[in-house]
Parts: sequence; structure tokens; C-alpha cells
Amino acid sequence: MVNDKLPSCSLSELLAQVRLVLADSFADSYWVRAETSDVRVNASSGHCYLEFVEKNSSTNQLIAKARGSIWAKTFRMLKPYFEMETGQLFTSGLKVLVRVQVEFHELYGFSLNVLDIDPAYTVGDMVKKRQEIIRQLKAEGIFTLNKELLLAPLPQRIAIITSPTAAGYEDFLHQLRENRGGFPFYTHLFPALMQGDRTEESIIAALERIDQHRELFDVVVIIRGGGATSDLHSFDSYLLASHCAQFPVPILTGIGHERDDTIVDLVAHTRLKTPTAVAEFLIACMEREAVRVDELQQTFVSDTRRILTTQKSLLQTLAARLPAAALNRIGRERSSLHVMAGKLPLQASQLLLQRRNELDLCRQRMRVAIESRLAKEMRALELHAQFVCLASPDYILKRGYTLTLQGGYIVKSKAELLPGNPLTTRFTDGEVESTIHLKND
Amino acid sequence: MAKKTESYTEAVEKLRRIVSDIERGDLDVDVLSENVKEATRLIQLCKDKLYKVDEEVKKVLEELDE
Repeated sequence: MVNDKLPSCSLSELLAQVRLVLADSFADSYWVRAETSDVRVNASSGHCYLEFVEKNSSTNQLIAKARGSIWAKTFRMLKPYFEMETGQLFTSGLKVLVRVQVEFHELYGFSLNVLDIDPAYTVGDMVKKRQEIIRQLKAEGIFTLNKELLLAPLPQRIAIITSPTAAGYEDFLHQLRENRGGFPFYTHLFPALMQGDRTEESIIAALERIDQHRELFDVVVIIRGGGATSDLHSFDSYLLASHCAQFPVPILTGIGHERDDTIVDLVAHTRLKTPTAVAEFLIACMEREAVRVDELQQTFVSDTRRILTTQKSLLQTLAARLPAAALNRIGRERSSLHVMAGKLPLQASQLLLQRRNELDLCRQRMRVAIESRLAKEMRALELHAQFVCLASPDYILKRGYTLTLQGGYIVKSKAELLPGNPLTTRFTDGEVESTIHLKND
Repeated sequence: MAKKTESYTEAVEKLRRIVSDIERGDLDVDVLSENVKEATRLIQLCKDKLYKVDEEVKKVLEELDE
């Protein structure tokens, strides 16, 4: 049963009331800090629709959310202004400071209509985020890893990460091919998206493909034609910067922008402004080496020539000095021979004289020695003769001694005597016979 | 005799050493001729790396599939 008596109103009447109250209470516009989310642009109308959200800073949980809109008329001015100031696409996930009007519509509900935006706030937030990422990369000890890699002296084998349709790619190839030195370069393209939401993952995927062939490349270049839109958000991402910093091959960047370096620029081995500048850098590396080799060659040739010249003139000097030196030497030898020859007769006669004197001396000494020896022998002989004379029986008999013989033998002892036997006694002047008679004692 | 497969860096380093030997001038003329031969070879090798297209590298990179 319908209770007609109770006071009531239709939904539209109630919501119209809400709208009036809100319009009354929030008549002004308000500067609001929020994060963008779900940003989308209606292609036909040009209006921009999005969600404004606020998250708990520690838990990251949503604590407020409101629908938002930017009418085409405003959006056409705000978008380029914002993007020029921040170097950043107006997209989801940005901290923004916007001036809004609170709106309520019976059919579409609550929403915040954006009237103005302050890009400085977003820039400040981006700077803070960038600093946080840089701090993190440094804390992890990977910030300078790619910079510490040694760039090959001849960086000829180049892995290119870019979009094949980008103007910068053609510029780069053209610049390399047309280099003045005629240095050969070898390139291979690893295509990637260079703008839009999928830039980050797309470049990381390209890096991973290069990594599988890393020994084939001296250098990786990440290049991008400098379009009007500055969509550098992806190049400030932690994940991409971390991949680049730790990549085992030196990375050169030329992502074509004027504002401060992106984090990828900061961690890259070498940061250059444009693809053309990257090509110039690579060519300059080759030119530097070419100059170095040329200089070595020149030094080598001139030094070798100098040594040979020195040696040749040394030889010539020697050769020139040789005849004079030889003649000089021969002359000296000759004159010394002469001197010696002059001295020879005198020396020889002196020597002869000396020898003769020595001989004379010898002869004299010999005569004396012989005579004295003869005299000595003579004396000895006389002595012997005397001795023999003294020892002879005649001499003894003369002195009065006699010899007694028995039967023709000399008697030396009384015991030999036999009584009655005749004895012969010899004197110096003859012999006498006698007979033995025994005496009794 | 040196091997023929030096890298560019090795070749330049060897060349630099020979040149500084020659520069110092305390080099025997007998050794000089050997050094001249070696230096000439190294210079040619460096120049080849600098200026000549390495068909092998070119082919490998062209055939590298994505």
C-alpha cells in the first residue's frame, strides 16, 4: 500500500536540491592536490575525462577518489602548456595541482571540473621522484656500472634501439654511412616503442634481445627523433634505468630533448643530445684512432729514417777515417821497426861480448877446479903408497922382526910347533934352519 | 713470430711499444729491420680494422634474427 501521506520527493528533485546546496556552498574554485588516474580523451569532442585519487602515503591505499573532467576548450590550452613545462605527457599517475570547480549533476553525479593547472607542482614531484630513483640506484651500487665499462677503441658493431619509423633512425644511419673517414660500421636494429605507456617494457625487451648476442656488439645506442612531444616519463623510470645501468655493453643515448638529462641519460655510458650526435661521437672515436695510428706510423717512419741516416753517416765517417788511420799506423810501425833495426847490431855485439866473458870465466874456473882436484887425488895416492910400503913384510923384517915357518907355513902360535921338526926363520937378508927342543917348565 | 690474430687494441699497443723502442734509439740495426717488418705488419692490420669492411661481421649482423 502506498503511503501518500508521508512527505517525499523524486530522485531528481533530491539531487537537484543537492546540486543547489553544493553550488551554493562551493561557489568558488579550489586549488587541489591529487594524482591523475585513468586519463582518457574523447576523440570526437576533445574533452578529457579522468579520475582524481589520493593515496595514503605509507600504505598506498586509496583514501579519496573523484571523477574529473577538462572541457575541450580548456584542455586544448592546458595540455601543451603542461607538457612543455614538465617535459611530460599529461597522463595517468601524475601528481598534479589543479584548480577545480565542484560540480554535481543529477544524472552524472559528482565531479571536479578543471579550470587551471600548475605544472611547477608536477615538476617538483618529478624531481623528487627522480632524486629518489637516483638515490636508490646509487644505494644499490649500480648507478655508475655502465659508465665504468670500457668503450671499445673501435666501436663499429652497433646495436640500435629505436623505432624503425622514427626520423632519428634514418638520420643516424645516414650520418654513419656518410662519414668522411670512410670507416665501416655494422648496425643491427632492435626495434622498440620510443613513446607511449609501453616504452619502458619495449626498450627493456630490446635490451634483453641484445644481451643474448652481446659478444657481437661493441656498443648499444638508444636513439629517438626529437619530436615536438616530450614524452620522457619512461626514460626516468627506475626499472629501465636499472636495466641500462647494469647492461654489460656500453650504452650511448641520443633521445633528442633539450631539458635536463633523464635518468637513463645519467646512467648511460655516454649521453648525447640527438641521434646525429651519437653518430658523430662514434665517428669521432674512429677518427681519433685513425689519427693515432697515423701518428705512430709517421713517428715510426721518421725515426727509422733518422736511425738509418745516422748509421750511414757514421759508416761514412768511419770509412773516411780508415785510409789515414791505416797509413798512420803503418808509418808508426815502420818507424818503430826502424828504431829496433838500428839498435840490433849494437845489442847483438854487446850480447856476444857478454856471452864471451861468461865463457872465459867458466874456462878459468874449470882449470882451477881440475888442477885442485888432480892435486887432491895425487896426495891420496901418495898416502896409499906409503901405507902399502909400511905394511910390506920386507919393511917389517928390516925393522928386526922375523918370520918363523914350519913345513913352509908361517907359525902363528906356540901350539902349532912339533918338537923335532925343523923350523925355518926368515930374516931380511936370508933364512936359517933350526930344531925345536922341548923345555920342561 | 707473433700470431696474426691480434685485436686492434693489442696491435696498437705492440706498435706503440716498437715505435717507442725505435724512438729511444738504443736499437741495434740488426733488430731494427725485424722491427720495421713487424711495425709495417701492425700498421696494416690497424688500418684494415679501421677502414676495411669485415664481411664476416657484416654477414653475422645481417643474418641475426630478431
